Amino acid sequence: MVLRFCQWLYDSGIGTQIRESIWVFPIIETTHVLGMALLVGTIAMLDLRLLGLLFKQEAVSEVASRILPLTWAGFAVMFTSGFLLFWAEAAKSYYNPAFRLKLVLLLLVGLNPLVFHFTIYRSVATWNYQVVTPLRARMAGVFSLALWTGIICAGRAIAYFQK
Amino acid sequence: MSIDNSMYNNVLSIKIMRTKAAFHRLVFATFLAAIPLIAHHSFSAEFDGTKPIQLAGVVTRIEWANPHVYFYVDVKTPSGKIENWGCETAGPGGLLRKGWKRDSLKVGDQVTVNGYRAKDGSKLADARYITLPDGHRVFGGTPGDGGPGDTEAKKPGD
Repeated sequence: MVLRFCQWLYDSGIGTQIRESIWVFPIIETTHVLGMALLVGTIAMLDLRLLGLLFKQEAVSEVASRILPLTWAGFAVMFTSGFLLFWAEAAKSYYNPAFRLKLVLLLLVGLNPLVFHFTIYRSVATWNYQVVTPLRARMAGVFSLALWTGIICAGRAIAYFQK
Repeated sequence: MSIDNSMYNNVLSIKIMRTKAAFHRLVFATFLAAIPLIAHHSFSAEFDGTKPIQLAGVVTRIEWANPHVYFYVDVKTPSGKIENWGCETAGPGGLLRKGWKRDSLKVGDQVTVNGYRAKDGSKLADARYITLPDGHRVFGGTPGDGGPGDTEAKKPGD
């Protein structure tokens, strides 16, 4: 069922045009790399604030509200360019172990901020100015840094398993 | 007491500055080291430079696709058996720069491929040189992959 969907995407006109293009595919790839800098670079700043390593004098909520719009912009670039690359390679990506690992890690990295926002972040007013934030907030920062690092490694590894 | 303290703080801040400068150099060096990664994957990641192979046969399938173009060749073994071999080359852009056209290779064409076998032992080869039906010999390797015949990769001592 999933394989069928992947094959259908792969065989579609747009998928085929991207795959067989001279310029479009490398341009999307490059956009994906640039978006990575924006997305992971900015979320890492917030993660480091939670760990008490960066912007120590700033309120956590202030850092979050200034940085997260950039992170979301990066996410939009990453999701769009990533989906276009998948469109062109879907039938091959389906079998790619690095791609499968990346999807699992992406799911986890999406759950992490959900848990963070609906638990410890609700009481941010009480620890907003602490250099070292509560354990659960620090754990969210560590998970985020570790998961994004894993996602980048898995994404890069896709090229080494693609046949 | 206060004088001692400020001296201590000065020494500490100099140490921190030195550590920061060293860290910045490390980050910069890491970026420089990452530049060769722009090639999709290196020759040696997938193929064995000590296992050259020559494949002569009829083209059965062509995948004109990013990030690598593949074509498949039916090769007759000495025992008379037909084996279908996959041949990996550069992507469409890399091949065009080497003088390929999209219709340079067609299903049914008789070709001779000089390449290197995949490390995993499968019927896959990196097609370094392909002799096309019109007698033209073209380079099929990915530019900058560091494999045999790659003129765009930096060699030690360059």
